Amino acid sequence: MRHAILALAIVASATAARADFTGKSIKIGVLNDQSGLYKDLAGPGSVMAAKMAAEEFGNKIGDTPIEIISADHQNKPDVGSAIARQWYDVDGVDVIVDVPTSSVALAIAQITKEKNKVFLASGPAASDLTGPKCSPNTVHWTYDTYALAHTTGKAEVDAGGKTWFFLTADYAFGAALERDTTAVVKEAGGTIVGGVKHPLNTTDFSSFLLQAQSSKAQVIGLANAGGDTINSIKAAHEFGIVKGGQKLAGLLVFVTDVHALGLETAQGLLLSESFYWDRDAKTRAWSKKWSERMAGQEPSMVQAGVYAAVLHYLKALRALKSDADGKAVVDQMKKLSTDDPLFGKGTIRPDGRKMHPMYLYEVKAPSESKGAWDLYKLIKEFPADQAFRPLDKGECPLVTGAAPAPAK
Amino acid sequence: MPDPLLSVKGLEAWYGESHVLHGVALEVRAGELVTVVGRNGAGKTTTMKSIMGMVRPRTGSVKFSGVETIGLPSYKIARLGIALCPEERGIFASLDVAENLVLPPKVRDGGLTNEQVFDLFPNLRERLRSQGTKLSGGEQQMLAIGRILRTGARLLLLDEPTEGLAPVIVQQIGNSIRKLKAEGFTILLVEQNLRFAGTVADRHYVMERGRIVDEIPNAALQGSMEKVRQYLGV
Amino acid sequence: MLFAVPVQALFGQLLIGLINGSFYALLSLGLAIIFGLLNVVNFAHGALYMLGAFVAWFLSEKAGVGYWGALVLAPLAVGIFGAIAERLFLRRLAGLDPLYGLLLTFGLALILQGLFSNWFGSSGMPYEMPERLTGGRALGFMFLPNYRIWVIGVSLVICFGTWAVIERTRLGSWLRAATENAALVSAFGINVPRMITITYALGVALAAFAGVLAAPIYRVSPQMGENLIIVVFAVVVVGGMGSILGSIVTGFSLGILEGLTKVFYPEASNTVIFVVMALVLLVRPAGLFGKQA
Repeated sequence: MRHAILALAIVASATAARADFTGKSIKIGVLNDQSGLYKDLAGPGSVMAAKMAAEEFGNKIGDTPIEIISADHQNKPDVGSAIARQWYDVDGVDVIVDVPTSSVALAIAQITKEKNKVFLASGPAASDLTGPKCSPNTVHWTYDTYALAHTTGKAEVDAGGKTWFFLTADYAFGAALERDTTAVVKEAGGTIVGGVKHPLNTTDFSSFLLQAQSSKAQVIGLANAGGDTINSIKAAHEFGIVKGGQKLAGLLVFVTDVHALGLETAQGLLLSESFYWDRDAKTRAWSKKWSERMAGQEPSMVQAGVYAAVLHYLKALRALKSDADGKAVVDQMKKLSTDDPLFGKGTIRPDGRKMHPMYLYEVKAPSESKGAWDLYKLIKEFPADQAFRPLDKGECPLVTGAAPAPAK
Repeated sequence: MPDPLLSVKGLEAWYGESHVLHGVALEVRAGELVTVVGRNGAGKTTTMKSIMGMVRPRTGSVKFSGVETIGLPSYKIARLGIALCPEERGIFASLDVAENLVLPPKVRDGGLTNEQVFDLFPNLRERLRSQGTKLSGGEQQMLAIGRILRTGARLLLLDEPTEGLAPVIVQQIGNSIRKLKAEGFTILLVEQNLRFAGTVADRHYVMERGRIVDEIPNAALQGSMEKVRQYLGV
Repeated sequence: MLFAVPVQALFGQLLIGLINGSFYALLSLGLAIIFGLLNVVNFAHGALYMLGAFVAWFLSEKAGVGYWGALVLAPLAVGIFGAIAERLFLRRLAGLDPLYGLLLTFGLALILQGLFSNWFGSSGMPYEMPERLTGGRALGFMFLPNYRIWVIGVSLVICFGTWAVIERTRLGSWLRAATENAALVSAFGINVPRMITITYALGVALAAFAGVLAAPIYRVSPQMGENLIIVVFAVVVVGGMGSILGSIVTGFSLGILEGLTKVFYPEASNTVIFVVMALVLLVRPAGLFGKQA
């Protein structure tokens, strides 16, 4: 008996000496839309990206294997929250990744903080995640509404679009994007002449576009995403909105959306991304590997963000040799500077904002395109400090030192 | 003696779990008019529907002019030349009178023309554009009989055509049925009205609890009245 | 708010409502026919609408068959698919509680949507508008794309053509009669099982036709039927289950009502039809055109 206890103690101390990983594995949960309108821009492609990041580490850190699971939050905060609680409480998940619906992401950020785990947000856009709702357990990687407003939005304003009409998806993300873009427009002396809030997942936008048309606004800002953006742009094309002299600003357009629209319809559209597969040799090399495993698609910036965020997370774990304290892991992530083939060198700010450049692209005309996924030409690069909100303007309690907003 | 036009042997039928017909056997020869009498719930209507194949499951044998129909779906049985005028008359509310009249497709040559049907039932001619169920009970019955005369069917199954009708209408329908018999139609008639049955039929079958329990030639009906009344419980 | 919207803009919205109504009418018409004869609440209708659009996409992508060919071939193909599904599955449920048919078709819809979502993702495929229907005309109060005019026109023709076939032909009279009493119609020598198969095929072919109509203006995507079908069910309930004319008239009117809602209170545009449904169910449970039980 005594031998047994001794043996156990030795094993235990030996394990402790190697690393302090909770559970049998490092469990990464990719939580996103696996079936609905954001499936293509996140979905199984994000899971693949996370797997590829784990493979860079040989699927283990030390002797602890890395395990990746995934689930469908159906873009519903209640569904997402239930999965997150199940994952954290029962399944031993250490980190939740992606979550491309801002309303769900805000809920996950809250739960993650409660449980002291880690949330690597790639898909969601709401800049609130690093603003009033910031959390010591969240890293917001890929982009946010502030960045979209200060790249695409600003480009449209600079090009002379002074009066705006918004088509806004009626949930947290749409509201945030409209708010951040409105600030840019007003700052430049422009005005908002009207807008409509439409339900998520709307098929027919012609009615809303007619309202936008009769508003005589110079720019129609699309504060929506995925399928909603595609349908808006298609209807605008059909109803002759652009020919009538009004400009469409796709405030959040993903490469998958442009591919679905076709260049004939989408050409000339301005949009911003932090990642485009064809940007340089490194992005092309990674995208090729991803594409081979995803039936010839090309990755979106959300999927790229999942890869880079998981990669950096694993680097932090390797340094820390523990995943027990979520906040400590995120602190470690903030301490290490980031470096990956997709977003280059960067940092994570105290408010959880990942800093990297944003790129303003224009959609090519069909005559300029050399292939099914040859869609963009680069217009301008925005350095991180121009694209993202200054640290002191976000009202993040972690920065201002104020007491965190009470949980609702 | 020629083979009967309709020959039913050992017919068993079920409504779901309940066993309704227990080995029904009867025959109708070409040109005959045969009635089936019996109390309510004795299985008369079920017998008619089973012959048409409308009650499933059914077992036994139902031969029509030598063809075994037990395995056939009801639309194929109808195409052999049997037509049913159901007890509830089966007039379609969403069809007007003309549509109801021409609804059953012709299955053979030799059916009545529309004109002949109107000669038999003059009331129908005036009401062609009315909704089928807006007709009076008597007119609905005429429509229900009239529409199966057009199809060329040789055997008519008439299920209580006089039920619930005024005596003057019963008389009119009785006359029509006699005319049909004279024209050479073979008729199997379910009837509760013995007086009426006695004026048209060649033979009578008596049904009780899902079985044929007696067969009475019409000539013997008057003499057996006491017995028959007992069967019918009147 | 009412006075803030100029009358001319209102015209535009009414017209747009009519366009959406065209889709509602085409789809609810098929549902009504199927429900009338089969007593099946065909939950697969939205998936078959999606299938119609995908067949059109396949035809153009793989066989070079354009829009006009697809308008004929896709409903045909989906109709045949429907006929097979009816023969293999739905027929076995005849006579059982309608709930079984509902579950079966719901399952079928999930399978179809799942498969296509797996194969094609969610962003959807672009489908080219036929050359002759591009462009549009300025009406003064709005720019009306030619394609939308075509959608309204062809839907009206198809809807009222279908209505005429059912109400005015002998075949239609068989259909109506079989809806009332299939056993008796069968006893008259009419092959009712085949008629049921054809009816189901016709109903889903209408859905596929709507799918092809939708392909150039919306995305050809696996989810395209999912949201629509719920609205269409509401249309059928409002119109009266099984009522042919009811589903056509209600389809167009609710489309217009929804269009108006998008002007006055856009956030409610997804729900207004269900509000109407609830009200109708309270006041006339059998629907506006249904026979009161």
